[in-house]
Amino acid sequence: MKKRTALLKRLESWLLGHLRRIPMTLLSILIGLACGALVWAVLDQVQPKALRSIFDEELQTRLEQQARETLIRFENYVAAHTSTTRLLANHRSLSSYLDPIYWSDLEESDPTVYFSPPPWLPATSLWRSLVEPGKILLIDRQGRTREVYNLDLRLLPPELLKVDRRFLTESRVQAFLTTLEGRPYLLISEVAEDGTGTNMGYLMMVVPLDSEFLLASQQGVSSSGVLVGLFDADEQRFLSSSDSRVVPAGSRIEQVSRNFVVTAQSFFQYEGSVLNMQFATLVPRSALEETQQRVEGVERRQRLVAATTFISVFTLVFYLLSERLNRILRRISLFSRRALGRRQPAIERGNQIYLLEDWIKQFIGNVLTAREEMRREHETELKQSEAIKQAILEAALDPIITIDRKGKIIEFNSTAEKEFGYRRDDVIGILFPSLIIRAEDNPKFNRMLKRLETDASLERGEIRGEMSALRADTTQFPVEVAIKPIQLPLKEVFTIYVRDITSRRRAEEMIVSLAKFPTESPSPILRVNRPGVIIYANPASAPLLAYWECAQGQKLPLYWRNRVVNAFNSGSDWESEVIVGEHIYSLLVTPVVELNYVNIYGRDITEVRRAEIEARQHQQELVHVSRLSTMGEMATGLAHELNQPLSAIANYASGCVRRLPAEMEGADDLKFALGQISGQAERAGEIIRRLRRLVGKQLPVRSEADMNNLIREVCTFVEFEARKTGVIVEQELTAGRLPVRVDVVQIEQVLLNLIRNALEALQEVPEKRRSLVVRSGYQESGEVRVDVVDTGSGIKKEAARNLFTPFFTTKASGMGMGLVISQTIAKDHGGKIEVDPTVSVGSHFCLTLPAYENLEDKQ
Amino acid sequence: MTGKQPNVFVVDDDQAMRSSLKWLIESVGMRVETYATADEFIQNYYPGRAGCLLLDVRMPGMSGLELQEHFLKHQINIPIIIITGHGDVPMAVRAMKSGAVDFIEKPFNDELLLESIRNALALDTEQRKTQAERAEIATRLANLTPREHEVMEMVTAGKANKEIAQALGVSAKTVEAHRSRVMEKMQADSLADLVKMAVAANINISDENE
Repeated sequence: MKKRTALLKRLESWLLGHLRRIPMTLLSILIGLACGALVWAVLDQVQPKALRSIFDEELQTRLEQQARETLIRFENYVAAHTSTTRLLANHRSLSSYLDPIYWSDLEESDPTVYFSPPPWLPATSLWRSLVEPGKILLIDRQGRTREVYNLDLRLLPPELLKVDRRFLTESRVQAFLTTLEGRPYLLISEVAEDGTGTNMGYLMMVVPLDSEFLLASQQGVSSSGVLVGLFDADEQRFLSSSDSRVVPAGSRIEQVSRNFVVTAQSFFQYEGSVLNMQFATLVPRSALEETQQRVEGVERRQRLVAATTFISVFTLVFYLLSERLNRILRRISLFSRRALGRRQPAIERGNQIYLLEDWIKQFIGNVLTAREEMRREHETELKQSEAIKQAILEAALDPIITIDRKGKIIEFNSTAEKEFGYRRDDVIGILFPSLIIRAEDNPKFNRMLKRLETDASLERGEIRGEMSALRADTTQFPVEVAIKPIQLPLKEVFTIYVRDITSRRRAEEMIVSLAKFPTESPSPILRVNRPGVIIYANPASAPLLAYWECAQGQKLPLYWRNRVVNAFNSGSDWESEVIVGEHIYSLLVTPVVELNYVNIYGRDITEVRRAEIEARQHQQELVHVSRLSTMGEMATGLAHELNQPLSAIANYASGCVRRLPAEMEGADDLKFALGQISGQAERAGEIIRRLRRLVGKQLPVRSEADMNNLIREVCTFVEFEARKTGVIVEQELTAGRLPVRVDVVQIEQVLLNLIRNALEALQEVPEKRRSLVVRSGYQESGEVRVDVVDTGSGIKKEAARNLFTPFFTTKASGMGMGLVISQTIAKDHGGKIEVDPTVSVGSHFCLTLPAYENLEDKQ
Repeated sequence: MTGKQPNVFVVDDDQAMRSSLKWLIESVGMRVETYATADEFIQNYYPGRAGCLLLDVRMPGMSGLELQEHFLKHQINIPIIIITGHGDVPMAVRAMKSGAVDFIEKPFNDELLLESIRNALALDTEQRKTQAERAEIATRLANLTPREHEVMEMVTAGKANKEIAQALGVSAKTVEAHRSRVMEKMQADSLADLVKMAVAANINISDENE
C-alpha cells in the first residue's frame, strides 16, 4: 500500500515536472484535443442509445398512428357498405318486386340464383362503384334464403341457406364479421318491405374480406409496403391480407413478424361471431431500418462539427489567455524586480500558470508576513495608545464622561467618581443629564446636544456651555461643560468634559471687582508709562488732571515727567504733596520697573491738614488762654490781696478824717493829706481793677459740648507726657454723651490741670504702682461729674487746707495758680472742684458741672 | 429792740480790713462788732439783735454767699451788705437774689459805704417794727372767737352786715354785735384801721373781689 502511494507520488512529481516544461500554448492545444476526444467518446457511447430509444418511441407512435388510420379507413369502407345496403333495401325496385310475392313458411325450395342483376336491385351503376359485394341475398322472415345474386360466382356457403338469427337485424341495418368455411366475411342485413309496408324478410349483403376488399378499403393509400390484414388472435394466424402474395391467408404471425412490424387492433363494432378477429397493420421492417440509419448518420455529423468547434474555440481561448498571462508575468517580473528586488518569477520556458501560481503563493506568503507584522505593529501601537489614552483619561484633572446618543453614560473616569461621588459601575447606563446636571439646566444641555448634531459650522465640532452640576450629596456647583462628538464605526458617542469653575468664577468676580477697584476708589489713582504718558486715570483723579492740564493718554507736565523718570531710575517710591486749588493731595509714585510704568496713588489730605492746623491752633489757643487765664487769675489774686490793704488804708484814712475835730488847728491840712491817702489808695485799686479787666475777663463763651469728647481730647494732649511717665490714662467714660454748656477751652484747661497734677504726683511713686483713671458720669443730683483718680504721692494734711489758695504750691517749680484757676473756672461755670479726703493712696479730684439740660430747665 | 443801739456786724477774714472798717464806722458813732469767720458770727448772733451785716464774699470756710443761704434757711432777716474785692456780675446777682441789700466793691468810697450802712439800719428798724406790729395783731386775732374771726374776714372783705347775716344765717343785729366786739378786741378805731390790720396779718381780702 505504502509502496503504491510512494509510486504515485513519484509519478505525480514526474508528471508535474514535465508539465511545467510544456509551454502554455501547446498545453492548451493538447488539453483541448484531449477534452474534445473525451467528449466525443463519451457522447458516442451515450448518444446513439438515447437516440434509439427516442427513435423507437417515435416509431411506435407512428406505427400506432398508421394502424389507427388504416383501421379508420377500413371502418369507413365497411360503413359505406352498410349505407349502400340500406339504400338497396329501401329502394323502390325491391318493394315493387316484393309486392306480388309471398313466401310460404312451409315451402322448402332452393333459392333462386341470379348471375345477372336481379329485378329487385336498381341499376348497377348506382351502387357498384361504391361496394365490392360477394353476394346479395333476399331472406324471408324465418331466415331462409329465397333469392341470391351471385356476384363472385362462388357457391353459397351452407351457413347462408338458413341464416342464423344473430346476423339478422330487426330494426336497422347491422354489419357482422364472421368466418364462413374458414374465410372471413362481412354480413350486412336490412329489413325488406313490400309496397304496402309489410315486412317480407331481409336483404343481406355478403362481402368476402379478401385481399381485394382490404386493398379497396385502403383505396390505394397504402405506401412503402404497408399492408393490412385480418388476424385470428386465437389461432395466431392471418385470415387474409391486402397482399396475399406477401402474406397469404393462414400464415403465422412469427413468420410475418420477421419482415413486418405487426400492429393488431380489436374490432369493437362488429362483434357477432365467435371468432376473435383483430385488424392488423403491417409495416415492413426494411423501411424502418433505413430511416433509422439515416437519422444516426445526420446525428453523427452534427456531433463531429460540435466537437471540432469546441476544440478550436477552447484552444483559441487558452492560447489568448496564455499570451495574456505571459504578458502579465513579464509585467509582474518587472514589478518584482523593481518593487521587491526579487527576480521572481523568472520567465523561463514552462507553464505560466504554474509560474504564476508559485509566484502568487510566494507573494501571498510575503503579503501575509508583512500584514502580520503590520498587524502586530498596529496592535502594539493601538495597545500603547489605548493604555496612554486610559492613563490620560484616568489622570485627567477634569471629570470626563462618555455618553451615547440617548444620553446614557458609557464611561465615567475616576476624576468624575471623585468629583461627583458616584462609583463608575453604578452610573453606567444611567442618563447623564438627569444624574449630573441640575434640573433647570437640562433643557440647555439637550439644546447643546441637538445643536452639535445639526449645526455643522461649530468650531472643532465641539460645544461649550456653563451650567450647574449636582453631586451625589445634592450640593450644586458651577461647571463648564464641553461636549465633543466621536464617530465610532457603528455608533456616535459624546465625550463630556466637566470642569468645576467655582474658583474660576470666584477669580473672575475677583478680577472684575479688582478691575473696578481703582475706579471706585475715592482717591486719585493713575498709571503713567516711562515717557510720562498717562495710561490710566480713575474718575477721582479729575482735579489732578485739571491741575496738570492734561488728560488720559497725554503727557504729564515736565516736572512730573522728571519725577517719574527719577522714580524709574531709583526704583523706589517717592512721595510728595501738591496743592490743587483748595485741596491738598499727597501723591505716592510707585515704579513698577519690570512692566515699565509707575502707579501714582493720590490722597486728598486737605481735611487731615486742616484738622492738624486746627488742632495746632486749638493747642496754641489753649496755651494762650491758659497763659491769659493764669495772668487773669494772678491779677485777680493780686487784686484781692492788694485790695485788702488798699481798702484798709482807705478806711483808716477816712476814719481819721471823720475823727478829726473841725476846730483842731491844721485840721484842713491833715484832712487834705488823709483825703489824698484814701484817694491814692482808691486810685491804686482802680488801676488793679483795670489791669484785671484787661487781662482776665472776657465775656464768657459758652457752647454745647460732650464732656466725654473733651476728656478724650485732653487725653490725647497728655499722651506724650503719660507715655513718658509710663502711665496709660484709663478712660472709664459713659456710653452716651454727657452734654454740658461750657467754655470748651477753659474746661479743657481744668481737666488738663487735674491730669497733669496727677501725672506729676505719679512720678514720685515706683512705676509699677502708677495708675491713672479718668471716669465720667452723672451725679445723683443730675450734674455731670468727672473723677481723676491717681495712685500718686497724695496730698499732705496741711497742703489740703491750702489747695485752692493762690500762690500756694508743693511743687518746686509751681506757681500755685493751677488749682486756683481751675476752681475759679469751675465756679464760673456753676460747678466746683472737690478733693475726696477719704482716699488712703494717691488723690481723687472731682469736677462737677451742671448738665446742659438742667441749665436749660432753669432758664 | 427799741431804744437799743443797733450794731454793725463786720465779717471779714482779713484782720486789717476788719479793724480799718471798725475804725471808719465807729468814726460816725455807730457800734461795730467784728468776726473773722462766718461761723464765729453765727455763734454770737441771735435774731433779736438789731443791726446790719457787712460781709466779705471771699472767705475760707463758709463763704459769704453760704452764710446768706444759712440766714434764708433760718428766716433771719438781717440786712446784708456784700463787700467784694472783685465784683463780678454773676456773683453780685446771686448775692442780691439771696436778699443782700447792697453790693460794694473794694476799695470803696467811705461816704458810699456809710450811706449804705445807714440805709441798711433803717431797713432793719422798719422790719423790726413791722414784725412787732404783726405779732401784736396776731395776739389780738388769737383772742377772737371763731364766729368773730369769720365776721371780721367778711367785713374786711367789704361785705354789708345784711349780706353777712344772710351768709351766716343769723340776724343783722347779731352781726352788728359781733362786729363791734371785733372792733373792740382788735383795738381798731375805724373800719380802715381794721382792714390795715387784716392786711398786716396776711388775711386775704381780695378773695371775693377776684
